[in-house]
Amino acid sequence: MKRVLIAGIGNVLLGDDGVGPYVVRMLAASYEFEPGVQVEDLGTPALDLIDHLTATDALILVDSVENGAPAGTVEVYSKENILRCGAPVRMDPHSPALTESLLAADFVGSAPTELLLIGVSGSRFEAGCQLSSPVKAAVPHVVEEILLELDRLDVGYEPAKEKRTDIWWDTVLTPCTSATR
Amino acid sequence: MAKRITIDPITRIEGHLRVDVEIDNDRVSDAWASCTMWRGIEKILEGRDPREAWLFTQRFCGVCTTVHAIASVRAVEDALKLEIPANAQYIRNLILINHGLHDHIVHFYHLSALDWVDVLQIPKADPGKTSSLAESLSPWVRNSRNEMKAAQDKVKAVAESGQLGIFANGYWGHPAMHLPPEVNLLAFSHYLQALEFQRKANQVVGMLGGKTPHIQNLTVGGVSNAINLDSQAVLGMERLEQIKVLMDEVTSFVQQVYLPDACAISAMYADWFDIGGGVKNYLAVPDLPIDARSTQFDLPGGYIPGANVNAVRPFHSHADEVFRQSVIEDVTHSYYAGKTRLHPWKGETVPEYTDWHSDKKYSWVKAPRFENRPTQVGPLAQVLVGYAHGHDLTRKWTDVALDKISAVAGKKIGVGHLHSTMGRHAARAIRACMLAELSQKHWQLLVDNIAKGDVSIHNPPSFPNGEIQGVGTHEAPRGTLSHWTVIDGGKIKNYQAVVPSTWNASPRDINGAHGPYEASLLNSPIANPELPLEVLRTIHSFDPCMACACHTFDPTGNQIAQVKVL
Repeated sequence: MKRVLIAGIGNVLLGDDGVGPYVVRMLAASYEFEPGVQVEDLGTPALDLIDHLTATDALILVDSVENGAPAGTVEVYSKENILRCGAPVRMDPHSPALTESLLAADFVGSAPTELLLIGVSGSRFEAGCQLSSPVKAAVPHVVEEILLELDRLDVGYEPAKEKRTDIWWDTVLTPCTSATR
Repeated sequence: MAKRITIDPITRIEGHLRVDVEIDNDRVSDAWASCTMWRGIEKILEGRDPREAWLFTQRFCGVCTTVHAIASVRAVEDALKLEIPANAQYIRNLILINHGLHDHIVHFYHLSALDWVDVLQIPKADPGKTSSLAESLSPWVRNSRNEMKAAQDKVKAVAESGQLGIFANGYWGHPAMHLPPEVNLLAFSHYLQALEFQRKANQVVGMLGGKTPHIQNLTVGGVSNAINLDSQAVLGMERLEQIKVLMDEVTSFVQQVYLPDACAISAMYADWFDIGGGVKNYLAVPDLPIDARSTQFDLPGGYIPGANVNAVRPFHSHADEVFRQSVIEDVTHSYYAGKTRLHPWKGETVPEYTDWHSDKKYSWVKAPRFENRPTQVGPLAQVLVGYAHGHDLTRKWTDVALDKISAVAGKKIGVGHLHSTMGRHAARAIRACMLAELSQKHWQLLVDNIAKGDVSIHNPPSFPNGEIQGVGTHEAPRGTLSHWTVIDGGKIKNYQAVVPSTWNASPRDINGAHGPYEASLLNSPIANPELPLEVLRTIHSFDPCMACACHTFDPTGNQIAQVKVL
């Protein structure tokens, strides 16, 4: 059984930074996957990402990126693209740590052999729970890229029988009567 | 002549800690700590259902998710004067303890040890001697020559390839690095082992919280872990035994590896027990309640003014009036409009950016003050407050640590030396040992309480008409966290989070008093302004957590911290 992790990364309270969690929740609601596939909203894990890298054969990450392209542009990055950046000197030990987590997992010999980062260019990163419209419009393209990668990895999936999305942060303000979670 | 340097990690989304220091005669003569991004995330909470606030607050930060969830439910429970069942206290406590252990292990080995350990010296070490040294320090079973040799071979392979990977940006060979090769290897072999043990602590958080990151088991009024000792599906004896096994392993690692390593390394850099003190007013809130009504705690809280542990003022509960009345936030040097000093319940978050001016506004961080004084929070504050109270568990592990450090250093290192950069590292290891011991106690409290037939986990909240206010506190890995909320007719009217790194990274206040990071850097030696390792050592000793909020990946590689010498 191939262990595949599809993970969304980003802060759901900071506008377009939340695109990763948004996409994976849409994906999890829309498809069912063969055993061994996990779909996770990992938030902003910094170095805690290492733990998620170590128990998987293939990793598909969705994150917002800044590459100068217009908002909503979807770009795919390989493991080599990511490692090329090198590890930064850290002032604040909890800053984003995709490159470092990958380097650390590589060092102890437990990095996934397959890794793909699907990056979505954003435009609005200030406090707020909604994606900007170009980024929201890109969500189906990201899902398509994920499915293409699963095809390449020869991992099975099918449309979900019942669609239940749980994007709890992307709601208009709830009245006090709503159910407690 | 004085020289100014700026250390500023460059990323696309600016939200990072920036430090500016002025250097005169190889010493820091002045310092400014600033955060370069406005978050203002609390605004998102306004108008929302207080019962759901914790779901949002645990997204404030990706590393400290659990702590913001707990502080939020406690704030709402405080506003409602709502007690929670004893089981809920113990389950929450076990989550908090294990999160803390995970965090401290990662901080020491993966985020700060390489400020002191020179990876490039490791190939020169003798693995046999390293193993003997390790065995003289601790009974830990994984200190064999083979274990050391395997770690050394990994470093050799990387060094020979010329591709340093994860270690590419260390200050290797810096004149301020001076551990013997064997100690470098010893620490590094434990760096690798620590990856395993931090994960075990995090697994406990996941098993009790349902998921990690982002626990799912909290509710205002308790927890949602259904309890049935005979069931495998809910929280039963089988799951509790699995948790116990993991906690035993983590406890051994913390007490037999982390503490001895922290003591040995700090003793070999004993001069750093005289550097990096700074602000000596300390604050810690009581935590780990052991009864349903939160009247008794396993970790004491209090305030120490001016390094005088005899003058400690104890806080007896989460609801302590002195604590509630004494916190204000000052925005004299922060990019906010409005009144200069406000109590968090009246707090405002109206941004007013004016560029970086060393004598005017220069940070997005507000300046919390306790009785108008800058105040340090974190493991050092926790240990000193406990020590001042004569708290048995704190005294026990502090004495163990100081004895070990003194033995290696060959001179007496006492409680007074803890007001320092190394003191913060030692205190974190002491606190980890205390938490490990308490993990065992709180597991037993939970099991015994369930065995008595109590399976209650939740008291339902009900919201009155009109305005109420509450504060939820938690003594988090980085120190005192408080969430302050005003609720009107069952909806959030105001929400302010005063986080540990706000206390420590705060800018100057209306009196011009430096915040703790700034004060700790004053008079620090600087061997080479181009490679300001000493600044990183002191700042890292606080375990800062500023900008975990935003995570955009920059594929152009512009993530290298910039050191500008002006």
